[in-house]
Amino acid sequence: MTTPTPPPAPPARGRRRAPSRMERAAGRAAALQRPRVLLALLLLLALTCVMLLDGYLRAEVGGDERVRTGASAGDVPDDVLDGGPILTFPGGRATTVSVPDKTIVLTFDDGPDPTWTPQVLKILDTYDVPGTFFLVGSMVSRHPDIVRNMVEQGNEVGVHTFTHVDLSYQSTARVTREIEQTQLALAGAAGITTTLFRAPYSSETDAIDDYSWPVYESLGADGYTSVFVDTDSDDWKRPGVSKIVEWATPEDGEGASVLFHDAGGERSQTIEALPKYIEKMKAKGYTFTTVSGAMAEQQSPQPQQSPQPQESQQSQPAQQSGGGLQAAHHRATGATLYEGKALIAAVAVAEWTVPALSAGLVVVGVAVMGRFAMMLVLARRHHRKRNRRRFGWGPPVTGPVSVIVPAYNEKECIEATLRSLARGTHPVEIIVVDDGSTDGTAEIAESLGLPGVRVVRQANAGKPAALNNGVRHARYDIVVMMDGDTVFEPDTVRHLVQPFADPSVGAVAGNAKVGNRRTLIGAWQHIEYVMGFNLDRRMYDLLRCMPTIPGAIGAFRREAVLQVGGMSDDTLAEDTDLTIALHRAGWRVVYEEHARAWTEAPGSLGQLWSQRYRWSYGTMQALWKHRRSLADKGPSGRFGRVGMPLVVLFQVVTPLFAPLIDVFTVYSMLFVDFRAALLAWLAVLGVQVVCAAYAFRLDREKYRYLLMMPLQQLAYRQMMYLVLIHSCVTALTGGRLRWQKLKRTGEVGTPAGSG
Amino acid sequence: MFVDSTGRRARLLRRIGLLLGAVCVGYTAVLGLAFMGVGISVNPSSLLPFGAGGGGGPEGGPGPGGGTRPQGGVAPTGAPPSPGPSLSPGAVTGTAGSAAPTAALTDRPDAPAS
Repeated sequence: MTTPTPPPAPPARGRRRAPSRMERAAGRAAALQRPRVLLALLLLLALTCVMLLDGYLRAEVGGDERVRTGASAGDVPDDVLDGGPILTFPGGRATTVSVPDKTIVLTFDDGPDPTWTPQVLKILDTYDVPGTFFLVGSMVSRHPDIVRNMVEQGNEVGVHTFTHVDLSYQSTARVTREIEQTQLALAGAAGITTTLFRAPYSSETDAIDDYSWPVYESLGADGYTSVFVDTDSDDWKRPGVSKIVEWATPEDGEGASVLFHDAGGERSQTIEALPKYIEKMKAKGYTFTTVSGAMAEQQSPQPQQSPQPQESQQSQPAQQSGGGLQAAHHRATGATLYEGKALIAAVAVAEWTVPALSAGLVVVGVAVMGRFAMMLVLARRHHRKRNRRRFGWGPPVTGPVSVIVPAYNEKECIEATLRSLARGTHPVEIIVVDDGSTDGTAEIAESLGLPGVRVVRQANAGKPAALNNGVRHARYDIVVMMDGDTVFEPDTVRHLVQPFADPSVGAVAGNAKVGNRRTLIGAWQHIEYVMGFNLDRRMYDLLRCMPTIPGAIGAFRREAVLQVGGMSDDTLAEDTDLTIALHRAGWRVVYEEHARAWTEAPGSLGQLWSQRYRWSYGTMQALWKHRRSLADKGPSGRFGRVGMPLVVLFQVVTPLFAPLIDVFTVYSMLFVDFRAALLAWLAVLGVQVVCAAYAFRLDREKYRYLLMMPLQQLAYRQMMYLVLIHSCVTALTGGRLRWQKLKRTGEVGTPAGSG
Repeated sequence: MFVDSTGRRARLLRRIGLLLGAVCVGYTAVLGLAFMGVGISVNPSSLLPFGAGGGGGPEGGPGPGGGTRPQGGVAPTGAPPSPGPSLSPGAVTGTAGSAAPTAALTDRPDAPAS
């Protein structure tokens, strides 16, 4: 983080020579040290922690639902099996304590629960009886306020592990962690720790077996008091209020450690039974106490029997009757207290973050699915409408048009480009604007000797300037703009200009196709292009808010271009900028699917990265430049209120959420339900494949490229959102991003040859 | 568009990023420490003054309950949260009605002392 970011201009992108392997490795190492990469990794780490914590609290992570039953109890001492419900190990020797006669220790397991525990506390408060709550640490950390109230009200609390696991299956380290984490949660919630413990799934002492006994022994050696049950209300079976009361009542005036549950399910019967039970037992002459209260009474019964020497005992019984009921509590101090508070805070963060992210994901998911549905419907309508036999834009456009070919170091491609134009069926003049090429592009163009080709030379000034220069030199009212690396089919120009028969049409987008689709990366881009042109652009055409006319193939009314001031170099996506400007000026922008242009897509990941980096950055620049259209009236306002939100939502916001989708998917696969998560992922993939297949059908493309789609989800998509995040950060920091020329091979030559 | 030649925005963002990174590291560290239980002492035996195993005490000194009577005055057990006494004595008065009322009265001066 301390390494200074490079000055506004990002590291040099122009490649002078191929770097050696060492240099590349060093570059990668340096890239990892860059602040934003480090920050991204830290954010990912924190998010992972949040999710793991959330999963741990919900027993998705590290959950263990095994419960041991039917094990032998040969190692357990008989006097423990037959003894009272309170087990301690004074001096290392197992000792059990029973609850005194006519005394009830109310114990509640598995809480706190936001619904039931407050009701239990209210009942206890109303009847002025204390209870002993064996709390699950994860619930404590999620509902610390309830625990604070519980303790302040005078109830005693004990540890019921952090995640309610059967400890007899767990390692010593896990047992220690379960206890310590719960203590931390208690410290954070109520500022105390406790010495009481009850094992999950434990019941009466005679149910101790050879596997759980060592746990009690080691916890006892640590000073914990294990608390069992001798009278079980079995309220979790929901047998009805009268049964609960009946089962919770000990025989013959004996004392009892009674088990209720204030969490872990629907507990309305418990809530109903509790007042009846307390009233019944009070009527029988019983008193209520906590575990510590019962122990104190058993060990020093004198004060209860002889309350006469009041003066001498003034301070000591005070401890017993007041603090004595919570004698198991200890004030948490120092690291324990602060770490506990930090844990509670961390849990609170997770408790807010995960639902918020889930909600965001749902919104994004619905938006994405809605978009797919809308695209399918509108693409179909567009296809039918434009291919109807009677459909026409008006009288055929047959007049000559100007084709502007901006070229900067295009020696590999320029010949194929110009020859494809010369084969065209529509009369054209071809203006090659050589933007200061150093590789003899202009000379190649001139030497071809093709009719109607003019070469205009300018000092290197960038693509927008070259296009403006070309528009100035154009003789005709309609200008076709293309890239120097693009190859047209013979009737491309003819198709492309037909919509201008409609006087309201200001610009036409053609159908760009990836020529070099034999490689994996080419195939991915092919899929993307086919979907982008056959679904997105058809949709935007019908909605009249197409954000971009591709630089590879577009036709414009010269008048319209001049009206909006030509191409500007305000943004790196001058095509998007110009298209939005045309919309705002009230021109209609349409998509002509039959005008196909074959273009060479970036052949390496690095080149693809810089191309998309420029596109997404440029798109954001263009949107920002035209932000005032949001409040405009007329066509400009229409684009601002329809087109802008769509583009922002689907080209900026949803891709930004995409990493979360991946994180959630991986998390669900690892911790929740692998099959369900996989099925969900496959379902989403299926929807995308269906959409892609429909796009392929509209364009009569071969379906076999769709086989690359699963792989596209695993690498290409991630790269695309990383690019977007990168360009967002660059936009925020205000760094400068320059045009970078892609390296060409010139392999895209014959349109019919590929595919 | 977006270009900030002064670099002020980049500096601000770098600071925010630094803060965010620190928060992330802190969060992760806290969770790690809490999960592993580093630096905390919650075992009753390490808290009680009479040492591990509970060797002392007339009643054998088991952790909590037995500790109260003989070692009642000792800090750890005498320090349950102060609101505790105000409620629980009432519980005893309601049920037993014997020694408790005086206890409730005498508890007040005792609580701040401990």
